Amino acid sequence: MAERVFITGIGMITAIGDNVAGNLRNLKAQQSGLGYSQYVDTIHKNVLPVAEVKHPSESLFALAGIPEKEGFTRTTLLGLAAMREALKDAGITDVQSAPTGFINASTVGGMCDTEKLYFDIIDPEKTGSFLQYIDTLDCADCTQRIADIVGFNEHIATISTACSSSANALMFGARMIKQGMLPRVVCGGTEALTRFTLNGFNSLKNVDKQFCRPFDQQRTGLNLGEGAAYLVLESESFAKANGSRILAELSGYCNTNEAFHPTSPSPDGDGAYEAMKAALAMSGRSLEEVSYINVHGTATLNNDISEGKALERLFGDKVPLFSSTKPFTGHTLAAAGAIEAIYAILAIQHGMIFPNLHFTERMEELNISPVTELIADYPVKNVISNSFGFGGNNASLVISKYEG
Amino acid sequence: MAAISPQPTFDGDILSAPLIHTDRNLLACIEPDYKPFIPGNSLRRMSRVLKMGLAAALKCTADSGLDTPGPIITGTGKGSLQDTEKFIKEIVEYKETALNPTPFIQSTYNSVNGLIALQQKCTAYNNTFVHRGFSFENALLDSIMLIQDGEPHTLTGAFEEITTEHFYIKSRIGFWKNESINSADLCQHLSPGSIAGEGATFFTLTGTPSAHSYAAISGFRMLYKPTKEKLNAALKAMSIQPDLIISGRNGDSNYEHFYKELDSCYPGIPQLGFKHLCGEYDTASAFGLWLAAQIIKTQQIAEQWFPQQQPLTTPVNSILFYNHFYGEQHVMLLLERV
Repeated sequence: MAERVFITGIGMITAIGDNVAGNLRNLKAQQSGLGYSQYVDTIHKNVLPVAEVKHPSESLFALAGIPEKEGFTRTTLLGLAAMREALKDAGITDVQSAPTGFINASTVGGMCDTEKLYFDIIDPEKTGSFLQYIDTLDCADCTQRIADIVGFNEHIATISTACSSSANALMFGARMIKQGMLPRVVCGGTEALTRFTLNGFNSLKNVDKQFCRPFDQQRTGLNLGEGAAYLVLESESFAKANGSRILAELSGYCNTNEAFHPTSPSPDGDGAYEAMKAALAMSGRSLEEVSYINVHGTATLNNDISEGKALERLFGDKVPLFSSTKPFTGHTLAAAGAIEAIYAILAIQHGMIFPNLHFTERMEELNISPVTELIADYPVKNVISNSFGFGGNNASLVISKYEG
Repeated sequence: MAAISPQPTFDGDILSAPLIHTDRNLLACIEPDYKPFIPGNSLRRMSRVLKMGLAAALKCTADSGLDTPGPIITGTGKGSLQDTEKFIKEIVEYKETALNPTPFIQSTYNSVNGLIALQQKCTAYNNTFVHRGFSFENALLDSIMLIQDGEPHTLTGAFEEITTEHFYIKSRIGFWKNESINSADLCQHLSPGSIAGEGATFFTLTGTPSAHSYAAISGFRMLYKPTKEKLNAALKAMSIQPDLIISGRNGDSNYEHFYKELDSCYPGIPQLGFKHLCGEYDTASAFGLWLAAQIIKTQQIAEQWFPQQQPLTTPVNSILFYNHFYGEQHVMLLLERV
């Protein structure tokens, strides 16, 4: 029998808070992090809303706990800030005190900084300290810089499956634990806003000029966000021997491919349906035991139809309470799966369901609508967290209350 | 398995294939005719590394004799560089308006995986690792974990391309040799830097041997920035006495000491380098593994690729494979004859 996998530490930074407490405060206050970019050099900065972390990169060095120096991208700094909190929360002062893996996720690595320097980098006439950033474009850069500062020297990896990247990082880490390869793995992802990604989604006509409205009839697209989140996963035996404080159990997960279209989900939500169904089956929980679903809910036309149909197919007329928290954080791409996994834990810990902001009108294709006001004093035992990405990559996690 | 590489590895008899070499310090892939694998209307839209990755994956699945690829797991350090470069430039050129989304979509690291799944109608597990010299290695680990969990088989591979622009970028931080060399002499030409390469290599991995099997993976270890002692101990623990060693030796004097460590652990064991065939890149290990599996299956070494190597006189029952990427990510594998 494979070991159960527990979550014993969490850390995050998003547009609604520099740490978990800050995020919880704004979730409870129903305060969105959406606004207009201060730091991305783009013609869209006053047109397309984004959920930006409210610090220039220079002041992120303090949150990351390192002196200011060249070569550290915003992606790395956001990641380090979240990593510091996660380790502290888990009571880890030395990651080498037990074999500890690090599974990171990123969609465009250090593009946030390299896109500003790229034309100098390819110009033989130009030279200077910007050359320190040459190798920061790839996704491994942020992982290794975080690993080297914190001291991870066991297994490291970086996953990139678009918007489901950090959900897959959590899954990979959990599987390594279940296989008995490592007793402890820190998993999550980091994402900084970039002109590259903003223009990418905008060229797909997927970005809303208003604040995004998941599951609303009038929705026209997503808003991008940035942030980072990490979760410390431990095997049951290690957590118990170590006396770790257990926040929740990662009880189920599934990764499946829809094989439908490079960037669009199927209208009936086949991939979302399969991912949720298989993740729930693995968790051993029944449909009735699901208290809440933190949906992918990007507010693109296609995602919300597809995901909504999948919910109706799986749960019939008993769809659990659900909401998208992307109106708070924007779509943070590689970080989204880990950020929302932490929100699932907060829902369990505090017995509350976070609202789906900006919703007014039910979609005509669906019979269901999301939670629109904060629900408190609500017992939350099992949460499904969905992350679906380009390339048909669908990932669902089941996070459960720890009851011994 | 299947490999698109700078050598004629995709079609025909490898043992009689010539040695392709260059003095440009950049070994580019010999691209096959994609039409048998990819419909024409799709082909026109796809950028180079997507075509290489998809064609290698499809050929690999055909070679395996299996109907479906099953879980698809890949590694790539850089993804589609051509698309990334193109989109960065078009953003500036068109002043962020009326952009064509295709390069953005194709620059996404998991786009090759998505395409393979789409073309094969494969809804199984799908994952992409993007970690320099641990990209293919993590894909391999993920696959082995899936097989240990009961998956009968996986499609596991890696793809990488080098562009002129990226070659220049990496030259600015000392990745390549300053002097132009004959790529055929790479392993003997010790000086700072290596030569660039690229490739797309795919494997079908199964939990049980079959008539199609090339080799068995019986040992596997990854080490991140190891100390000399840790590397030495890990290398020694891989095998008592392999019949052959395949190493990632790449003529780069900055990191040659790691290969010297290998030599010291296994004195007297015949050793082949492979980077003179494929060049240096994030996922070159995949090509090295392909070569090792070829040798163990055919029990022959292509003479023209390894002119200094004596013909085999004893059976090759085990091969130790060791590679590292610029001293940071180290991998060792032990292959055994099925």
